[in-house]
Amino acid sequence: MIIHYLKPILFFIPLAVIQLVIVPLISISNIAPNIVFILIAYFTLKHGQVYGTILGFILGFLLDIISGGLTGAFMFSFTVSAFIVGYFYGENKIDINISTYFLLFILFVCGSINSFLYAVISNSNSNVSLFFMMLEEGILPGLYTALFGLPIVIFHPKEGI
Amino acid sequence: MRKFLRRIVSDYKEYILLIFLSVISFTILAQNEKPAAKHLKTFALGNFAVINEITNSIVSIFKSDESRDELRNENAHLMLELNRLRKYRAENEELRSMIAFKDTSNYPLIPAKIISKLVTKSQGNFIVNRGSNNEIRKGMPVINSKGLVGLIMDVTENYSVVQNLYNSNLSIAVTLQRINVNGILNYDGKNLIIKDIPTTYDVQIGDIIETSDFSSIFPPSIPIGIVSKKESNVLGLLHNLKVEPFVNIFAANNLFILKIIPSKQINKLEMNLIK
Repeated sequence: MIIHYLKPILFFIPLAVIQLVIVPLISISNIAPNIVFILIAYFTLKHGQVYGTILGFILGFLLDIISGGLTGAFMFSFTVSAFIVGYFYGENKIDINISTYFLLFILFVCGSINSFLYAVISNSNSNVSLFFMMLEEGILPGLYTALFGLPIVIFHPKEGI
Repeated sequence: MRKFLRRIVSDYKEYILLIFLSVISFTILAQNEKPAAKHLKTFALGNFAVINEITNSIVSIFKSDESRDELRNENAHLMLELNRLRKYRAENEELRSMIAFKDTSNYPLIPAKIISKLVTKSQGNFIVNRGSNNEIRKGMPVINSKGLVGLIMDVTENYSVVQNLYNSNLSIAVTLQRINVNGILNYDGKNLIIKDIPTTYDVQIGDIIETSDFSSIFPPSIPIGIVSKKESNVLGLLHNLKVEPFVNIFAANNLFILKIIPSKQINKLEMNLIK
């Protein structure tokens, strides 16, 4: 069972480096894509909701401890958002979900939820309005994250669609 | 009963798993300040930051130039000196030359480079390539040539986590330099803000904000930013000041760590006062 999770963890290491070193260079007004979430969403759509939820939990924990942020914040947001991605999973719909533009929609919706949850958990100041939070810390990062899912759609082998 | 429970678990295993993992996440969230959690974090950070540093050195287009580093160092010293002199002038104008003023211009500066950044709206953190091997300690202020950047939060042997101004957990005692009014600077997720300054004080747009004499975390007279906007509240009796920092936090790359160790005597006195 542990081996089953080893592959995404191995992918996680370079992606985490990219997330922490290179992604800040391409952020716009502190809005950045979450490359690690794309990895979690991809594996959730391939292997199912339970797998994805556990993977989100593990990778969230790892990202929290190596990024210097609040431990538990990414853990929670990745767990919940991977669970929601799992609703799109279907054994007969794997290729449709991953190899078509529908993946971008999934990444946008669930990426927005992920970013929003992270912002809610990590922001200890209660003066920020909910609308502002949803827009700047939810929808815009989700949109940016979905954009980075484009290479998967373009380059993923399309089998039997 | 067993059959019933088994059916519940098999029908709702995804939800049970979600709730279980969420509870664990919240528990770990609540344990953030415990020594075991901090130890795990510093261990993981210290080891992973090596990869970040290697990648950062590859990504960096310009190699560090020694003469440029010397100029930055001198610039940072001059920035502190200039701000201190501005404050002296303000004090002299108010005939306060009898008040003792601690010399802030001789703090040793340790240069550091940012090797990774956590880009979120409310948890502004950097990881820098200096640690306990370079005599860095938790609580040391971090500046660059333009002003205050943040505070050292966690330290490993070779790396440290810097909590920057755009972090909702950082509160700083500040002074409006021109009129010598004190306040607390916070980040509310959108702006740097000083709350509840009485409108009787003549605060103007463009007033310089610096660290206060009352701060036990930062030495006094480190420039932070300027007042960019005033907003009245509470029937016009108080106002909130939005602050524009001197430092472009997200473009910051080369920093200096002020080698100041917080005084244990002062901390002890403050704890006794609180008790």
